[in-house]
Amino acid sequence: MRSLGIGFVAAATAAAVGFLMVPALILGAPLEPVMGFVQKIFYFHVPCATMLFLSTFVCAGGSIAFLFKGSEAGDRVAASAGELAVLFGLCTLVTGPLWGRKAWGVWWQWDARLTSALLLELIMIAYLLARRYGGPAGRKLSAALALFAAIDVPLVYKSVDIWRTVHPQTTVVPSLDPRMRPAFWSAFGLILLVWSVLLIVRLRLEGARAELASLRLDAEDMLETGQ
Amino acid sequence: MKNRNRWGRIWLLAVTVLAGFALAPALAVAQEFQKVSGPLREELPATPFVAAAYGFIWIALLAYVVLLARGVGRVRKDMAELSAKISEQADRGGPRP
Repeated sequence: MRSLGIGFVAAATAAAVGFLMVPALILGAPLEPVMGFVQKIFYFHVPCATMLFLSTFVCAGGSIAFLFKGSEAGDRVAASAGELAVLFGLCTLVTGPLWGRKAWGVWWQWDARLTSALLLELIMIAYLLARRYGGPAGRKLSAALALFAAIDVPLVYKSVDIWRTVHPQTTVVPSLDPRMRPAFWSAFGLILLVWSVLLIVRLRLEGARAELASLRLDAEDMLETGQ
Repeated sequence: MKNRNRWGRIWLLAVTVLAGFALAPALAVAQEFQKVSGPLREELPATPFVAAAYGFIWIALLAYVVLLARGVGRVRKDMAELSAKISEQADRGGPRP
């Protein structure tokens, strides 16, 4: 595997430092008058949900390239982004109920936002399972699933505006108190940085696996002709 | 004597009934909701929820990094094994790649 370079090391170091520094900014942000201290979960719950959406779109983009142009690179991008979608979806679906238990008094509500977000996570898990255990057609089957997941993303996002739910609406971030913005955008930047670093590493790993598989085939041919 | 016993029983019954009426409001008061005095106390502290949420994200990302590192290690090991196999074959006089 090729070296990841100084830019990657710098980004990874910045992400590690950020995980120690951003909580200080979040703690310094003013308290929300209705929910109180538990509203601090918002600062990393929303960026994680955004990364779930972004990963799903990247996965769908790679899948389209693979399905319609037969792009192997597109397939590798889709596989890497698919894993990140499941990872950040898990973070969203764990931090949300922790916030809800305190704010609403229940861990879970079967309302439009929560249910559609869970559905998106399940589709992305199905994507990974189809890819791993789907046999020869697994990659194409999973690519089709990624397209369904991408269609679900706008539905998840707009669900709070279309249906009446207990979840806060999409106007929360644009109307955020100016004193809360530095904490929110630094947390968002940190999660985006972590997402980018993980995607680069995962892509390199996928590339190295493809290279290894190709070398193995060449070596087998060579060993057979050599005997 | 018979009359005295009869009046005694009537007195006992009357005292019991009056005592019942007198105690009834007190029992009812004990079952009423208590009025809050001073600032409202939170039932669930928020700190464990915030700490659990942040901790979960940390652990999940760290676990994923460990999985990636294991994947990279496995690919490197396989590459080394393949190189060794090819070198061995080359030493035996087989064709070079």
